[in-house]
Amino acid sequence: MSTGTEPTLLDPRRSRRDAGRDGPAALRFEDVTYRYGTHLALDGLGLRADCGEVVALLGPNGAGKSTTISLLLGLLQPQHGHVEVLGTTPRQAVADGRVGAMLQTGSGSGLPPGVRVEQALRLVRRHYRRPAPLDVIVERAGIASLLGRQTHRLSGGQAQSVRFALAIAGDPELVFLDEPTAAMDVAGRRAFWRMIRQFGEEGRTILFATHHLQEADQIADRVIVVNHGRVVADGSGATLKAAVTARRLRFVCDRPDPALLDRLEGVTDVAVHGSAVLLDSLDADATVRDLVSRRVDFRHLEVVGAGLEDVFVALTDQRRPETSGGDGPSVVRQESGTGRQGLGHRPEGAQRSWA
Amino acid sequence: MNQLAAFGRFEVGRLVRSWKFLVITVGFPITFYMLFLGDRTAGGVIYGTVPWRAYLMVSMGSFGSLVAALTAGGARLSTERSSGWARQLRVTPLPAWSYVTTKVASSMLVILPVLALVDVVGAAFGGVDLGLGTWSELTLLLWVTALPFAVLGVFIGFVANAETAFPIVTALMFVLGYFGGLFNPVGSMPHALQVAARVLPSFHDSALGLGVLDGHGLHLGHWLVLAGWTAVLAGAVFWKHRVEELRGLA
Repeated sequence: MSTGTEPTLLDPRRSRRDAGRDGPAALRFEDVTYRYGTHLALDGLGLRADCGEVVALLGPNGAGKSTTISLLLGLLQPQHGHVEVLGTTPRQAVADGRVGAMLQTGSGSGLPPGVRVEQALRLVRRHYRRPAPLDVIVERAGIASLLGRQTHRLSGGQAQSVRFALAIAGDPELVFLDEPTAAMDVAGRRAFWRMIRQFGEEGRTILFATHHLQEADQIADRVIVVNHGRVVADGSGATLKAAVTARRLRFVCDRPDPALLDRLEGVTDVAVHGSAVLLDSLDADATVRDLVSRRVDFRHLEVVGAGLEDVFVALTDQRRPETSGGDGPSVVRQESGTGRQGLGHRPEGAQRSWA
Repeated sequence: MNQLAAFGRFEVGRLVRSWKFLVITVGFPITFYMLFLGDRTAGGVIYGTVPWRAYLMVSMGSFGSLVAALTAGGARLSTERSSGWARQLRVTPLPAWSYVTTKVASSMLVILPVLALVDVVGAAFGGVDLGLGTWSELTLLLWVTALPFAVLGVFIGFVANAETAFPIVTALMFVLGYFGGLFNPVGSMPHALQVAARVLPSFHDSALGLGVLDGHGLHLGHWLVLAGWTAVLAGAVFWKHRVEELRGLA
């Protein structure tokens, strides 16, 4: 149990200290290739997360997300390349109890049949030398009402919450979550991510795999988009949106002045056909504000193609490998800083870090 | 050590709380014992100098440990492997080998009371009367020699999935039970089956038990066959575990 000096789940001190230190990366993946038979699951994948970062691994099914997590946990060994977790091998990090994970379980619950939730949780705590206090885990995962339940009587969402409790039982520095909200309804999902956000705010490193764009965008400090076993983009949600000419403004204007329109904030391209105007913008909000302040007489304003969804489709679309329309490289990289951005405090607007 | 003990307690606790497990492991050998007793109560000498009632007690003890081991390992293990629980344990600091050894150990632990129960039924209803020393020797011997069954159960848990485990376990229970001479003395079988019985661990297991009552020799051959089975099955479990590790299925 917790003593005054032992850092616990409730104690943010350790995390801050660790996050500020110039220590090893929380995880590092270098040129990793993994093949299941003839199927190439990872094709020279490289990624890195710093201590204290919340990183989303975003990609469609079969992109290589679960394989990546299995390699990070030492459940698989890379056939080529190098995997490092918390400055050591994945297996060592797991054996030292510094890592927690919530894996995909397919149709199963991922829990042992024939026991109550509390028994399973107590057992898993026992496997760690310095587990988090039981009541803290229970409160964290919001499973107080489930402790007395038989594991096979849980709903899919409840089982996921219990598995999250198991993942944090060892008070880990680094947590892997593989599509953690797969069996949850909307309310459960929201509560779950609130919990994750809190957990991440303590400075723990979290890497989660998802194919839900909103989840990646809203929760993560950084989104790494993978497809066909390769990283196709890496940056904040806003950066990724900016990677593709995400916003197109369309309006009608009596005497459009192309030269003026071109000078508007965020605008990258202007097309005028009579009174119809099309603007490509990296920051639609700023462009509209500028339109107003320059007293451009616009009517029937429309903003289209603005979601991360479009970015995602564009980035992962194989038929159009050069998705960013020639305005920039298709792979966007934003170097992660030493300090991590607080959640919800991501830089507003687009960062033209590739320009 | 502490974590292993906790895991062992957890596993045994799950087993004894499962009524299905208790009904099968206790019900099968006891029911068969009672049925067969009534069948041939007047039976004569069966194995050397061992009378039918005592023979039945030994072979039902052997059968009971077989059933307990296959039930504890086989179906349950494959279910929890397909449910993802085994994988969840793999990402805790619990070493991979201790998962397998704890499974074998907890099977062994639940076999002991089954053997004791068969003894009690033998004494109460079968009219078997052995001295305390012989009772203990017989029970301990049958317990130790049940190790290949425990490993076999774990092996089935590793190779079968949740659907195939149950039929495999049932088939093995009857193949090893019947052809190993646990229901009927091997001596009363056709020659070909007598030869075949000598391959099966169940035959050698009960033969060692009967040897205690018969009081003849070391029975080195029986020990060797049982040790061989244990080694081969343990090797097979290890191999399967390795393969899964490489493919990431474990």
